[in-house]
Amino acid sequence: MPQKNETKVFSGASKYVLDDELANIVNISMALEMPLLLKGEPGTGKTMLAHAVAEALHMKLIVLNVKSSMKLIDALYQYDTLTRLNDSRFGDSKRDVSNIEEYIRMGKIGQSFVSEERVVLLIDEIDKADTDFQDDMLDVLDQMEFDIIEIDKTIRAKYRPVIVITSNAKKDLSDPFLGRCNFHHIAFPEPDMMRRIVQVHFPEIEKELLESAVRTFYRLREIKGIEKKPATRELINWIRALRADPDIRTKDLIKGEVPYLGVLFKKSPDYVVAQNAVCMEQRA
Amino acid sequence: MLYALCEGVGMFVDFFYLLKKVGIPVSPTSFLRLQKALSMGLINSVDDFYTGARAILVKSEKYFDLYDQVFAHRFQGAELKEPSLVELSEVVRALLEDWLKDPKMLADILGIDEKDIAKLSPEELIQYFLDRLKEQTEAHHGGSKWIGTGGTSPVGHSGYHPGGMRVGGVSRNKSAVKVAMERRYRDYTQEGPMTPSQMGEALKRLRNMVPFGPMDRVNIDETIYKTMKNCGEIEIIFDRSLKDRLKVILAIDNGGWSMDPYIDLVQTLFNYARAQFKDLKTFFFHNTIYDYLWEDPQRRHKPHKVDEMVRLDPETRLIIVGDASMAPYELMATDGSIYVEERSGKPSYERLKFLAKTFPHSVWINPVLVEYWPYTPSIQHIREIFPMFELTLDGLEKAVVHMMRLFP
Repeated sequence: MPQKNETKVFSGASKYVLDDELANIVNISMALEMPLLLKGEPGTGKTMLAHAVAEALHMKLIVLNVKSSMKLIDALYQYDTLTRLNDSRFGDSKRDVSNIEEYIRMGKIGQSFVSEERVVLLIDEIDKADTDFQDDMLDVLDQMEFDIIEIDKTIRAKYRPVIVITSNAKKDLSDPFLGRCNFHHIAFPEPDMMRRIVQVHFPEIEKELLESAVRTFYRLREIKGIEKKPATRELINWIRALRADPDIRTKDLIKGEVPYLGVLFKKSPDYVVAQNAVCMEQRA
Repeated sequence: MLYALCEGVGMFVDFFYLLKKVGIPVSPTSFLRLQKALSMGLINSVDDFYTGARAILVKSEKYFDLYDQVFAHRFQGAELKEPSLVELSEVVRALLEDWLKDPKMLADILGIDEKDIAKLSPEELIQYFLDRLKEQTEAHHGGSKWIGTGGTSPVGHSGYHPGGMRVGGVSRNKSAVKVAMERRYRDYTQEGPMTPSQMGEALKRLRNMVPFGPMDRVNIDETIYKTMKNCGEIEIIFDRSLKDRLKVILAIDNGGWSMDPYIDLVQTLFNYARAQFKDLKTFFFHNTIYDYLWEDPQRRHKPHKVDEMVRLDPETRLIIVGDASMAPYELMATDGSIYVEERSGKPSYERLKFLAKTFPHSVWINPVLVEYWPYTPSIQHIREIFPMFELTLDGLEKAVVHMMRLFP
């Protein structure tokens, strides 16, 4: 495998606020050529990180969305028998029917291996797949090669992709898996960090609105008995909703009103609990 | 360079062993990797080192706090706090997991014979570790107290075997620390109650929980595909005709900590499988069921009358998860509930019978292993009412088969 010495260093992207810690970890993982496993509350930007890395380093991003029923082979390649049969019956395609290779299609991992330039490979929500999938996949990523059985050919990665893996699971992944990754847990951002994140998404935002929205948001996260606390994603969407509605005044927010509560609380029991809490607060 | 800063590699080795000592499972491979990162010039300050070493060495956020403490101690001269009992038991858990994979190594580390380890009961082992750890943090002890041989018990039902470990006697005299012990053992042996790492396997078992009708529907897409694959030789594929998806009620005993390790597990399991059910309701109870089941885990705000369950579809699969271990009066007495407000005069035993009659397809899943059931009378009684299965992969499979029988 030709080694291209990447001197690229990741330091943030246009829509992603990066703390120094995470930037450091991303850079170390890239240099050590190890996958980076990210865990953290949903909506804290695990997936976004891969997008940001790709954007900042001007690399193509290939996303493998893991599904529970997925087999490793699906992520590597597919042998399209149906098209081949079709071609052999009707013979009107340019493909050579006797050449099986023309009917092999690369899966997401395969694509990242055969790519002519270094890419970012995001493996999203690895915890959905079973343990075997996870371990086998890491074997492939470790070796940077896999075999296509049908044509007895080994595909080797031209450039080792930058690999980001995300997991929502509360449980830990298997030891062999963890052993081959670098690990980072994205903590929920502090209010200061959150203000910066919001500003990146809404550079024009009025200071007052920003302040009161962030304050309201952290207050709402404190409500007890909530199953799914609102996260960064919800806050961004909520502010978008607030700004889109011309009738909403920042003063109301300061008074304790919370419009568009449903953007923040998406589960109906949570919504009811939050609504009650907001009403209680206003009365008090 | 940081090397100079830290008086050479020796300091890192110290740091590494310190991490291991406090119970963070760091592997030698990852340590070498850290060295590589250092030699590549990727780490140029103590701050870099802090994040870099953590990403490379520590693979779970639950150790982040410990890591911070060790780091502060080693690199900033801050004092390493004497761990509290809770922290210690966390440490013990981590150590045990690591060590139990290799009983011989465990014996070496403790400086005792493998055979002697076998003589220690789990709680003695735990206690032993705790004592040892305390000594380590106090540091003035020479290590002569390696083992308290005075109280070793012979290998009994709660014995520990280097060859195949198993915890016994779990339903009696449990301590929170021992619960931890239980889980670690079972991760190792793959026997015993389900562990989070078996979640995937468990889900596969649940996949059989789909209703089936006769195989009498032609699947046209599949037929065309198969026929083409056969090069034109027609092959007709039949599917089972559709039936309504199942409704499932999950009732979980979230009373004491004896159930704690399993609540999340079971809930996550069924939530993952949710898509294949028409409806999944989760209720909670403490020890056994009286007048109410509760929709909220605190069992306070959302009561649901057991009497009203009769209105639900009798085809609903009722799955009760609990250790069924309680004082006999809780089950049999007319005022058995430990909660004052639940005094309707009907003993829990009758309530359970009522539920079993209302939902003929019901099962009780028990994290206590089958071989210990005979020791607990309340388990015996409940088994007379509900078919009981253990919370293991096998047990789950059997439970699913039982619930899917056409005629209960």
